[in-house]
Amino acid sequence: MNKNEKTVSLMLIPYVLFLIVFVVLPLLVVIYYGFTDQQGNISFSNFINFFGNTRTVGTMVYSFGIAIITTVICLLLGYPVAYILAKGSYARKHAFLMIFVLPMWINFTLRITALKEILTMVEGNIALHPFFNTIVCMVYDFLPFMIMPLFNSIAKLDDSLTEAGRDLGATGAQVFFKIVIPLTIPGIVSAITMVFLPAMTNYVVLDMVYNSTYIMGSLIGSYFNAYDWNNGSVISAILLIMIAVLTVISNRIMRGKDDQNR
Amino acid sequence: MKNKLIISAILLSALALTGCDKKEDVLTLKVANWEEYIDLGDWGEDETIELDNGKVILGEQSMVDDFEDWYFENYGERIKVDYSTFGTNEDLYNQITLGDVYDLVCPSEYMITKLAREELLEKYDESFYDSEDELNYYSRGVSPYISSVFSNLKLRDASLDRYAAGYMWGTLGIVYNPELITEEEAAHWSLLTDKHHYKQITVKDSVRDAYFAGLAMNRSAELLSPAFVNDPDYHEKLTEALNSTDPEIVEQVQDILTRVKENVYSFETDAGKADMVTGKIAANQQWSGDAVYIMQQAAQEGLSLRYSAPEEGTNLWFDGWVMLKKGINGDERKKQAAQAFVNFISMPENAVRNMYYIGYTSVIAGGDDDTIYQYINYNYAGEDEAECVPHRIGYFFGDEADEEDRYTVYAEKDSDEFYQLDAQYPTKEVIDRSVVMACFEEEDNVRINRMWTNIRCFDLRRLFML
Repeated sequence: MNKNEKTVSLMLIPYVLFLIVFVVLPLLVVIYYGFTDQQGNISFSNFINFFGNTRTVGTMVYSFGIAIITTVICLLLGYPVAYILAKGSYARKHAFLMIFVLPMWINFTLRITALKEILTMVEGNIALHPFFNTIVCMVYDFLPFMIMPLFNSIAKLDDSLTEAGRDLGATGAQVFFKIVIPLTIPGIVSAITMVFLPAMTNYVVLDMVYNSTYIMGSLIGSYFNAYDWNNGSVISAILLIMIAVLTVISNRIMRGKDDQNR
Repeated sequence: MKNKLIISAILLSALALTGCDKKEDVLTLKVANWEEYIDLGDWGEDETIELDNGKVILGEQSMVDDFEDWYFENYGERIKVDYSTFGTNEDLYNQITLGDVYDLVCPSEYMITKLAREELLEKYDESFYDSEDELNYYSRGVSPYISSVFSNLKLRDASLDRYAAGYMWGTLGIVYNPELITEEEAAHWSLLTDKHHYKQITVKDSVRDAYFAGLAMNRSAELLSPAFVNDPDYHEKLTEALNSTDPEIVEQVQDILTRVKENVYSFETDAGKADMVTGKIAANQQWSGDAVYIMQQAAQEGLSLRYSAPEEGTNLWFDGWVMLKKGINGDERKKQAAQAFVNFISMPENAVRNMYYIGYTSVIAGGDDDTIYQYINYNYAGEDEAECVPHRIGYFFGDEADEEDRYTVYAEKDSDEFYQLDAQYPTKEVIDRSVVMACFEEEDNVRINRMWTNIRCFDLRRLFML
């Protein structure tokens, strides 16, 4: 037993090292730079810089807007697809799923470039609709990340529960909204986190479709380009806090669901 | 037994290998340059350049490999060049300050000034400037005009030419499609806010280049007025105006650049080249080197493009080779090798190879050697004299008046070659209104970067206007 424990702890070493070098240390560096000034004194000036400037706050609102709209559209498109794939009686269910997930295997700049050409064909001058094009490309880029967790969650759903609902006289809509959706909430939550956070920072998409307005990711990049580690880091820290809050909330929701199920 | 044999065999061979390494004490020179900014060789036979002065130029292997051979032949020492590339001046600066060690790097003028201010640069040896020495190709060949620009730029304790040897140079301007934009429109920076070309023009996604255009637009009327242009101190005043960091001016430029942002197709880092060639956009703010490349690409597609260095003023930019103190570290052998590298790529034939390969303009004029002038003729001179117009670039070769037409190129009027020549080697009039960007003080940089952030971030008021 003792020997077993020893080997287990020995095997943990690489993972612990990995965590320290690639997770903990960078995080500490970000926090250090975020809450010090150029001279290295502890200070909240970067924090005040960010929230005190209506433009940078404007960019936060703009990033939120893009992320929310992208997530909602992905969810509206992705859920029916995931449901049909998971519950439909197709012989080649997994082949269909693969077709939807296939774009994930192609380099994403390549995909966006192709989509950009299509948009140019349709719209003529794509610089006239930067916001619309950003959303189209974001949705296209993140849809597979939405479908996968939803598919897994819906596939695990016990059919006897929906059958019972129907036997007891519920309409199709009632079964869907009162049984299927509540039981797949964990899948929905993880799908949303998969899409929402990257959509807030994926500025490469904006660059590629000629949207010259900064989102959070490009703002960080611009500070780093000007050797301003402090102001760049504080924004990373702010994003990090948002991710943490979002994760806590989603965990609450999931735990709540688990309790109900019991 | 068998296992033991294998192990000892491995050990022996490992010993033998390390032995080999020790025997050859090869000096390594760490060089960092821009991406795609040196001849990498591998030219096809049909790319051979045969000049009228009898020189035959062909890049068979990369410039770096050629240097290693050349160094051994001339200095009798084996050398290994560890060549790497960087994407932007800021990337290079970050690499240097975060601990990467290089011996010789090639940043732009404002970054050279910054590095010199921070005392990171090693001065060139006095002997590097001895133009009697056969091997000092840089000092013997550098354009007298570029040389004077360098010596007029004062750093703290010396002029810039003690720290840097030039590589490529050019101007900042506008590439445009003459079918969509008139010559008159392209002659002014105000084109960037012209409503007639709404969402048809790109601007460089670079604070300094955008700010430069903004400054010129802000004081356009004044900069073009006869009183200003005819002022005896015109050039000093222009330099000051286009390098202004006055808070009030920064604010005015912010308003201008906000209008630019609303009017242009996009701010771009690299996409502008392809978008210009494919006809997606009508004009783009561009450095002359890339402008030549774009015009050549477009000409192959049957599209004639032109380049203009606006009349308010243009930026004279250059990239130069500087040695880093940390890399050289007092090692005379290394310093000699670094200086030899600069001399080697400054050999007129090699300058031609680099120009051919990357499309930019070398600072090398050639001195007694007329290879560079021959190459310009080879590229651009027209065949039918009756159709040709003179393009005077004597200033570049140190003979401004050029009464004997030794340095005048005759290119066919209105041909693609004529406009490419004009972009690659600007006329004296353009040079007279060109200024070098100053390296701003830290607090000014902060102010200007904040202005840039303000322009690029989302304006909440737009939500309420919808």
